[in-house]
Amino acid sequence: MADLKKEILDIVGMVIEKEPSEIPLDAHLVQDVGADSMMALEILAAVEKKYHIVIPEEKLQEMTSVNKIIKMVETGKKR
Amino acid sequence: MQKKILEIEDIKQLIPQRYPFLMIDRVIEACPEKVVAIKNVSMTEHFFEGHFPDLKVMPGALMIEAMAQAGIVLYKQKYQNANLLYLVSVKSRFFNPAYPGDQLRIEVLPLKMFSKMGLFKAEITVADKRIAQAEIAFGSQDAKAA
Repeated sequence: MADLKKEILDIVGMVIEKEPSEIPLDAHLVQDVGADSMMALEILAAVEKKYHIVIPEEKLQEMTSVNKIIKMVETGKKR
Repeated sequence: MQKKILEIEDIKQLIPQRYPFLMIDRVIEACPEKVVAIKNVSMTEHFFEGHFPDLKVMPGALMIEAMAQAGIVLYKQKYQNANLLYLVSVKSRFFNPAYPGDQLRIEVLPLKMFSKMGLFKAEITVADKRIAQAEIAFGSQDAKAA
């Protein structure tokens, strides 16, 4: 879990060009961290590639915080 | 399976760019999983007048445009969307220059295609020589509202 958290923070940080330490886990990525829906797409694609999961289009708008992305990956991996 | 070929009039139905900014001449393969487009680089291209007066090299920025236009064709293999598509992000690398007389083979593969936005991988080759690679993201006019 700790590894997953770090990996996802790294992915999010790389896409939105911020240090992982600047991204609180529950902060709203668009409203609080400065991401936009297109960055969410890049995060989604990177996460899918890394964990070999498929995230459907309707889940994109649920990817609002790092913690939510972590949950999504955990659910995706169990399938 | 026979490969789907799109001639210039078919391409114009799919992408809104026109001369001098229409950067693909023919599509030799088109399906939702892959598009291969051709761009014939001619000495009479408008950009060669200034790029450069003494050495004719196709601008890298226009190679990105060619890859982006092939990407629109790729998107339209899956989705019908009359809204304009905007370039959102480009990660690119250039390996070799393209000169008058070269035929660019532009291959684009989807990384993720959604109804209002997408991300794809593109590569330009000339006679199997790698010219440029890019990862391009785009969104439609209505994507921000999503």
